[in-house]
Amino acid sequence: MGTAAAARTVTDESGRHLSVPEDPRRVVSFAPSITEIIFVLGRQDRLKGVSRFSDYPPEAGQLPSVGSYIHLDVERIVASEPDLCFATKDGNPKDVVSRLAALQIPVYVVDPRNLEGVMETMLRMGDVLDAAPKAKAVVEEMRSRIDRVKALVAKAPSRPRVFFQIEISPIVSVGEQTFVNELIEMAGGTNLAKGPAPYPRFSREQVLALAPDVILVTSMARGGRFEQVREEWARWPSIPAVRHNRILMVDSNLFDRPGPRLVIALEILARLIHPELFVPDPLEKKK
Amino acid sequence: MTDMERPLLLKRLCAVSTLLVILLIAAIFLGVSSGSTGSGIRQTLRTLLIGPSAADPMSYTIIWQIRFPRVILAILVGGTLSLGGLVFQALLRNPLAEPFILGISSGAGIGAILGILAGLPRFPGVTATAFAGSMITLFLLFVMSSGQTLMKKDTLLLSGVMVNAFCAALITFLMSMTQDSRLHNILFWLMGDLSTADPRQVGILALALIPCFVLLFVLSNSMNLLLMGRDLAQTMGLNIKITTLTLLLVTSFMVSLTVSLCGPVGFVGLVMPHLLRLVFGPDHRVLVPACILGGGTYMVLCDLLARTLPEQGEMPAGVITAIVGVPLFIILLKRSSR
Repeated sequence: MGTAAAARTVTDESGRHLSVPEDPRRVVSFAPSITEIIFVLGRQDRLKGVSRFSDYPPEAGQLPSVGSYIHLDVERIVASEPDLCFATKDGNPKDVVSRLAALQIPVYVVDPRNLEGVMETMLRMGDVLDAAPKAKAVVEEMRSRIDRVKALVAKAPSRPRVFFQIEISPIVSVGEQTFVNELIEMAGGTNLAKGPAPYPRFSREQVLALAPDVILVTSMARGGRFEQVREEWARWPSIPAVRHNRILMVDSNLFDRPGPRLVIALEILARLIHPELFVPDPLEKKK
Repeated sequence: MTDMERPLLLKRLCAVSTLLVILLIAAIFLGVSSGSTGSGIRQTLRTLLIGPSAADPMSYTIIWQIRFPRVILAILVGGTLSLGGLVFQALLRNPLAEPFILGISSGAGIGAILGILAGLPRFPGVTATAFAGSMITLFLLFVMSSGQTLMKKDTLLLSGVMVNAFCAALITFLMSMTQDSRLHNILFWLMGDLSTADPRQVGILALALIPCFVLLFVLSNSMNLLLMGRDLAQTMGLNIKITTLTLLLVTSFMVSLTVSLCGPVGFVGLVMPHLLRLVFGPDHRVLVPACILGGGTYMVLCDLLARTLPEQGEMPAGVITAIVGVPLFIILLKRSSR
């Protein structure tokens, strides 16, 4: 708005050109993943508003909310007087971005497509937020942790067949164009739901036929329902995952937010898919 | 109309309109002075009176660029839907008729969902596909009940009910096939939502709707005649076919426009005409302006509740219009039958 500080023109990840302040002071985040990136870049003091469910790190939950990811509250965004907002290309409604642009509020749109893309987004955000060295350091650490996992699972004798369940009724898994698919492959597993549909549905019969070695259930289905899911699968001992007691729960926030914690998700996955490589745990030892 | 009647009607019209304009202005003021960032009547007054030079450009932006277009949109939507209900109730001589009875909203729904699934932006993309959807549905309906049967109210009504049911099934089918975040967009659209109000879109809508309002006011006496029955209306010199067709097309056009922009906001078109008829009597020359002003007021207030009731986020306005409208309607019905 009115603050006429030094500005420069940048191109965001959706190809829009926008003028951003040289040193943004009042930043608003439209997605929990973006909030996490801003915190990891050490720029949380500039965050004046975050989207609902921005709950990590816990301090983020204390910041004023500007509505949910999918239903942003333009009035609250304007009232937090931002000099820069960060949005995601697919999740946030496009008309909110264009309305803010019409109100002279710059919105930087990010669009990471894979793990590498997340790190590039972090570098670009570091650049825009005057935190380039910090961004570089964080990304370097992520890269080395990814490489460590890759090197480790390269030694694995097999690629277990993984069924990643994000919804209980109907049973929904994840296809090719998702972060989870990439993480499963990187952690030395085979994603059984691989295919063009991003979130394919399955009948129980289909899952039985796929015979997964590991079934991972995200905590998206909250509130003690994991036990219920496990019991439901337990009725089908023909599934190898059931026979070997390998139905496991993972924290959905780690897996569905394209942010710095994806690398933690990768390490967790590698441990769950290849427990044999982690006795004793080499990742723990190196820390 | 006799010479005795005219001044009396004019007087009634003025009295009713003045009363409703005052209510509307009060609603507008309430509407612009509260929102998700809190409300302040004094603050709003200062901003409205002093203008942008007053110390606080932020609240100026919020009031004029965000809340004001939304309030105007609510007036247009509420007025259009109430008027739509009034016209269809007269045309079909059925008290249960509402502006969506001919399948306009469900046709628009299919168009909007296809637009959302194709990844179009909400405006003009989804609005355009929704409008196309409702127009195609309307066209099919007219083809189905063409010729003489169009004039028979029951045929039109029944065709409308069937088209609605068929479209509802298609909508459910499309939604069951959608698996990602677009489902949220579809749901919000289907619940009726005014939050996307943008000054330019509201301006375009107003330009298209106001001539329709005027035209319907011109036709208001014809609606009175139509209600007296076809034979009587004909002997009074009314061309029933042309009048019916004009009323149908104009109303459908304006309802389609608002539905395309905001989704189907329910119950306004059913509740408001009945309420106003109970209060101001059955004369359409009074009821047409009353519906525009009263429907507008009602919608502004409902939208105000939708914006401010939830602590986090907001409700779709359609939820409030239903929750407030239905009990209101039942109370009125009980009172009037006593």
